[in-house]
Amino acid sequence: MKFRAKIVDAACLNHFTRVSAMIAKLAKTCALRISPQKLNFILSDKVASGGVSMWCELEQENFFSEFQMEGVSTENNAIYLELTSENLSRALKTAQNARALKVKLTNKHFPCLTVSIELLSVSSSSRIVTHDIPVKVIPRKLWKDLQEPTVPDSDVSVYLPVLKTMKSVVEKMRNLSNHLIIEANLSGDLNLKIETELVCVTTHFKDLGNPPLASEDASQDRDPAQMAEVHIDIRKLLQFLAGQQVNPTRAVCNIVSNKLVHFDLLHEDVSLQYFIPAFS
Amino acid sequence: MLKCGMSGSQVKVFGKAIQALSRISDELWLDPSEKGLALRSVNSCRSAYGCVLFSPLFFQHYQWSTSVKVNENDSTTSNLNCKLGMKSILPIFRCLNSLERNVENCRIFTRSDQCKVVIQFFCRHGIRRTHNVCFQESQPLQVIFEKNMCSNTLVIQPRVLAEAVVLFTSSQEEVTLAVTPLSVCLKSSSDEPMDLTNSVYSEMFVGPEEFDFFQIGVDTEITFCFKELKGMLTFSEATHAPIAIHFDFPGKPMALSIDDMLLEANFILATLADEPSRASSPQSLCLSQKQKRSDLMCSPNNNSKTGKNVTSKAPGCILRKTAPKRLHPNETQTDVPALENCGSPIMKRVNGDISEVPESSVSDTEEMPGSSYLRKFSCMFFGAVSSDQQEHFNHRFDSLATASDTEEDMNNVGCRK
Repeated sequence: MKFRAKIVDAACLNHFTRVSAMIAKLAKTCALRISPQKLNFILSDKVASGGVSMWCELEQENFFSEFQMEGVSTENNAIYLELTSENLSRALKTAQNARALKVKLTNKHFPCLTVSIELLSVSSSSRIVTHDIPVKVIPRKLWKDLQEPTVPDSDVSVYLPVLKTMKSVVEKMRNLSNHLIIEANLSGDLNLKIETELVCVTTHFKDLGNPPLASEDASQDRDPAQMAEVHIDIRKLLQFLAGQQVNPTRAVCNIVSNKLVHFDLLHEDVSLQYFIPAFS
Repeated sequence: MLKCGMSGSQVKVFGKAIQALSRISDELWLDPSEKGLALRSVNSCRSAYGCVLFSPLFFQHYQWSTSVKVNENDSTTSNLNCKLGMKSILPIFRCLNSLERNVENCRIFTRSDQCKVVIQFFCRHGIRRTHNVCFQESQPLQVIFEKNMCSNTLVIQPRVLAEAVVLFTSSQEEVTLAVTPLSVCLKSSSDEPMDLTNSVYSEMFVGPEEFDFFQIGVDTEITFCFKELKGMLTFSEATHAPIAIHFDFPGKPMALSIDDMLLEANFILATLADEPSRASSPQSLCLSQKQKRSDLMCSPNNNSKTGKNVTSKAPGCILRKTAPKRLHPNETQTDVPALENCGSPIMKRVNGDISEVPESSVSDTEEMPGSSYLRKFSCMFFGAVSSDQQEHFNHRFDSLATASDTEEDMNNVGCRK
């Protein structure tokens, strides 16, 4: 198994650092899949994550000027690593004004992702910074749990409002209850509701717009004003929103009534999918 | 007796010094002399010592005098032996930025009759804030460390060091500085094998040209406590002066110092000693070769490793009250056997002169629960010496500490210009 990659462009480095920071907020431990064309950060819906799953995908050639990898075998040309996402994020943050950043898979008593940074200093001499991030190689038999999730047929798809606004609303609602109802319809309305014995609070977002539907027949059957709703744990939604520091290029919310809510985000060229299951 | 005054911006520097020293210990000595006002702090494991000496020029006005106690037949002069708790003094110097903006004048004076230090802030709009802080009478400890005799000296701008420090997480306990004539490397160090699989190892190489002064006499790698380095760094950012690092081989203490026209700061830190096979020179801490890592630093991990039951949660936070007791005759007697190989007779002789120390001694069993290694180390690092015994002390070994009794002692402390 081999992996080496290099980033020399400052904008690419900043973007990669932001993606890594976002992943660090979304999942404490995650799987990193390295394949010839892509890098994926994966969180599978195990009990440990409370049923939440995440799939983040980026095209390696949008970031790396050099990229070489050799997977486990030629038929299975991929590498699956498990790492603590904050370690990677922190290491990348130290590469603020780097001339070059190299990442490679190494074995220093145990497998590591070694991040090697060449920093330019004021006196025009370079400083070399190295971080060895311990990783675990995920054996092939566990790969099946870490495949791209199938996007379910949703009842309603709606564009999300400005995430920062949504986050501040959800943060306040969290003080009232852990149980949040998220509902939307095909007229571009999205509501966030908290219902307790003493009080009901609803935040209405209107005129958000709906993405064009894949199949025309489905849209004809459904009343545009009819809401599809899911009851979810508000903390999971909050964790998702906390990871979004920058407003995405495109943000869609897909609701499968009473089953799950699926967030489909695009940050420039990085796609993020986040699934929150309904309360069982 | 102490009486001094400073302006708002000087208060900020003064407050930063206190904050930096608070990283070392929960107690602070206020030690005025004709050289200026020294703030001193020692951690309970005696593995770190900090001293910031503000020269009289730093203050708007500075007055100091010894107090004379007249007994029946003789009179004894004594310095202000003033020890303050960090808990009392740190909150006074919180929010330094707002202090700098609002305070026009600050006056600090002591009232020995009441064992109080009075700190007065004369703020804008005619507001005057007065803080009365009680102090304990206690002889300050000093460290005599010949930093100019170290083979390796580096002088670096605080900004460069700050850039290196961000590499490490705040949970990182120790860092290692590795030097050769061609490069300097700061890297994370860990002696718990389990940690390695969980924590990130980071290192940064800095070329010699980034240093204001670069003199490496001997290739070496020293490991010391990260927290104390950060403490010194935050202070240096307030003074904008370069930091000098003086060090030798592992086991010998290292010094971080800032030398400005108006103040001089010195942090003397113990470094992790090498394997026992290493021969140590007579000048070094005689017991350094016997010290294990766990003995130098009181961190909870290390203490649990040695199986000792120490109650502290952080270095330097336990046993605050015992700091002065190092000077007490009763205690040093039990420590004497540990010093056999380094001239314990000296310590015995010294014992006899400590009668002036006012605090009553407490039995040893209460002190450092279970850690006899710590006691050995601390005895070597600091000793109580009265002025009469000075010459004997200097003869036998290059010991590091004296109680600041008289003016001669003051001359020996690192007040090098």
